[in-house]
Amino acid sequence: MDESPDSKKAWALSQKIFPILNDFSTCNQEDTFFKSQFEELCNYMQANGLQDFLQQLIINQVEKRFRDEIVPAFWSYFQKSELHNKDLNQFYNAVKSLYDNYKEMDKITSGLELFRQCTHVTKIPYNEKTINNALKLILKATVLAQSPLNYQAVTLSFYETALRIEDVDSYLGFDSGHCAACDQDSCNCLHLLQETNRKLSEMNLLEPLVGQTFTNLSHKYIYTHIQKMCKDNYDSFITRLETWLHTVVIVWLRKMYSFDTSICLNEAMDTFQTKLVNYLYNSYTKIRINQLFNIVIEYPESLPALEDIRLCLPRTDLKPLLMKKLQRAMETRLLHHGVSTADILTAYVATIKSLKVLDPTGVLLESVTDPIHQYLREREDTVRCVMSSLTEEGPNDLAEELHKRGAVDENINVEDGDDDWETWTPDPIEAAVSPNPPKDVGSRRNVDIISMLVDIYGSNELFVNEYRNLLADRLLSQYTSDTEKEIRYLELLKLKFGDSNLHFCEVMLKDVVDSKRINQRIKEDSEYSESIVPLSTLIVSQQFWPPFKEEKLELHSKVAEQIKQFTAGFETLKGSRTLCWKNHLGVVNIEIELNDRTFNLSVSPMQATILMHFQDKDTWQLEELSNVMQCTASLLRRKISFWISHGILSETSIDMFSVQNVENKNLAKVVFCDEDFEAESAMASVQDQKDEEFQNIWTYIVGMLKNLDSLPLDRIHHMLKMFAFQGLTTECSPSELKVFLDRKVRKRLLIFSNNLYTLPK
Amino acid sequence: MKVTIKQWSGVASWKWVANDDNCGICRMPFDSCCPDCKLPGDDCPLVWGQCSHCFHMHCIVKWLQSQTVNQQCPMCRQEWKFNNK
Ligand SMILES: [Zn+2]
Ligand SMILES: [Zn+2]
Ligand SMILES: [Zn+2]
Repeated sequence: MDESPDSKKAWALSQKIFPILNDFSTCNQEDTFFKSQFEELCNYMQANGLQDFLQQLIINQVEKRFRDEIVPAFWSYFQKSELHNKDLNQFYNAVKSLYDNYKEMDKITSGLELFRQCTHVTKIPYNEKTINNALKLILKATVLAQSPLNYQAVTLSFYETALRIEDVDSYLGFDSGHCAACDQDSCNCLHLLQETNRKLSEMNLLEPLVGQTFTNLSHKYIYTHIQKMCKDNYDSFITRLETWLHTVVIVWLRKMYSFDTSICLNEAMDTFQTKLVNYLYNSYTKIRINQLFNIVIEYPESLPALEDIRLCLPRTDLKPLLMKKLQRAMETRLLHHGVSTADILTAYVATIKSLKVLDPTGVLLESVTDPIHQYLREREDTVRCVMSSLTEEGPNDLAEELHKRGAVDENINVEDGDDDWETWTPDPIEAAVSPNPPKDVGSRRNVDIISMLVDIYGSNELFVNEYRNLLADRLLSQYTSDTEKEIRYLELLKLKFGDSNLHFCEVMLKDVVDSKRINQRIKEDSEYSESIVPLSTLIVSQQFWPPFKEEKLELHSKVAEQIKQFTAGFETLKGSRTLCWKNHLGVVNIEIELNDRTFNLSVSPMQATILMHFQDKDTWQLEELSNVMQCTASLLRRKISFWISHGILSETSIDMFSVQNVENKNLAKVVFCDEDFEAESAMASVQDQKDEEFQNIWTYIVGMLKNLDSLPLDRIHHMLKMFAFQGLTTECSPSELKVFLDRKVRKRLLIFSNNLYTLPK
Repeated sequence: MKVTIKQWSGVASWKWVANDDNCGICRMPFDSCCPDCKLPGDDCPLVWGQCSHCFHMHCIVKWLQSQTVNQQCPMCRQEWKFNNK
């Protein structure tokens, strides 16, 4: 700018009209100039082509003022962290001061706008349409450029309080007259909020400054709301939640943005809504996934929640998360020592049913149940548990499944009809990543829980064998006299496992029915007298029953006499047939009268026999009695301890036992530690059976070695496989065979050298 | 002490009184049944020949029907005669 008197005058005029050009000015835009002065300035600037220059000069000053004074002052409000959260004033005051300054600047820019129009300046800074727009742009840029890192803590707390004031959920608190923000009866919190929003909107700062806060806050609000709803409640919520989102969250946001003229409100709300609905679905699904183990366990009460998850899964990418979380929950909460097999089975059935709801294709099911299968396979009592719950009385998931079977069979054709190419859909992608890809899609359509359980073991036979053992135990102990019921169950099992597998059990049940008739016939015989012991006998077809545990026992002569009579009766009735007694099996109802007390008990034949001998003679020596009863002393001692625990016998000196005719009050109230016969199975265990089978192959091995002198392990195994293994229930592996042979070596029945087995000379 | 047996429920298995365990024709145990039967005992009885050999009734009847000329015991080749003892 040259130093001519004109120019000096013009500069003074400019400074008067635009005091901001004055560096030390207090920035008060005064209205003390005249219209003529303004026109003079315009004319001069235009004549000298300086109008653009002046405009730029003023804009620079405005920017400088924002940068150096106004915006730092605004942000300085955010440093006052000592203010407690509930206070709306912190942010309000910041916005108010910023707004006041903005208004001051706006006066300058209105003057500039006028100047621009008079001097026909075409170029507006930042290519805006008006100087005011440019001002807002400068403001926004400066505010954002100087924003401290954590300013959102303040805005978040401000709008959180705002939300609390407005929240329909907590309207109760508000209606009572207390403001949720300041706890006072009448306050202007609502006014502060509105003013803040209005001012921010006017400065075009609402969205840039607090838009993110609104999003974060909505998310937080939605998440806690869902969590509150879903806690311990497995209802269906998704529709209710969506309505809530529209009527509460979106309405609130609309209110917040209502002063903002820079945006199209409806459009902005639509965008918000789309994003928030997505967030809602995602959060709801995640929260439900975290609860999924409980939801599964609560099936079928939790069915509504499961239906919700099924609806939500296609809208989210959470299927992999669901699989991972559920698998982990199963491992930590179900598949460990602390949980009984019966409970695992119940949970397993619930899992299958629940996952069928979530994913009818069954792909999900396979990936989640795989670890359960592996675990159940390791548990020794699984088969027994499955079989006993299948045949158990009372409501029970597996038993229900068995009863349903008939209906399922009838539906098979209908299912197949569904399977045509037009309705075919590809397997979900997870099928490819699941460790055991299913071989046959069709087989998955119809989930048969019992079959799935049986498949864990790969064979029906194992299950049927276990059922046979259970049935034998029940029939022998005569707990179940209801053979009709057993026969009904057997019919159901036959539908599932096939007739031939269960044929043995059919004969067993027939034995029970026949026995009743034979007992009756024998007792009707005039030759037969039951004067000594009331006897009833279960007559079994040995070949069809599982192998019994062998135990030697000589019965008391009275019982032996009765049994002899019964056998005679049987032989008369059934020519050419006789009876082989299993003395140790059965149940005895016994009444014991002592001087001061009477007992009625159901005990094993051995325990009854012991007492019958003590009736004859008060005191017995262990060795003596074991000779009479033909059983080992150690077994006898164990059985005697049962009577000692009942206070009927006592050990008077080492290996001497006597009847305790008068109750010994000093003897601590007996703890029934009885390893009672009831708990023991009469059936030989799997190990017993296996040992017996090995004993049979031992003869083959001896014969082999006699002929061929010496053989290596694999040759022996190979030859056994060809000749001896046919009849065995389970084939033995070479390693099992080695264990068996090595036992023989230790007993010096075999010699092992140079990897060859030979017989000792 | 007085012990009263109210009820003795015993267990016994039935067994054919025969001089062998298995049927010489079908090789199944006598106490089981012949291959054509499902139930043992009354439903699949044993019969004795005068030669003292015995078989499942169903087995020997089938055997005799298959013999066109002589009715012989499959074990000792003597003429088969039922022993109605
Ligand atoms: Zn036969
Ligand atoms: Zn037969
Ligand atoms: Zn003969």
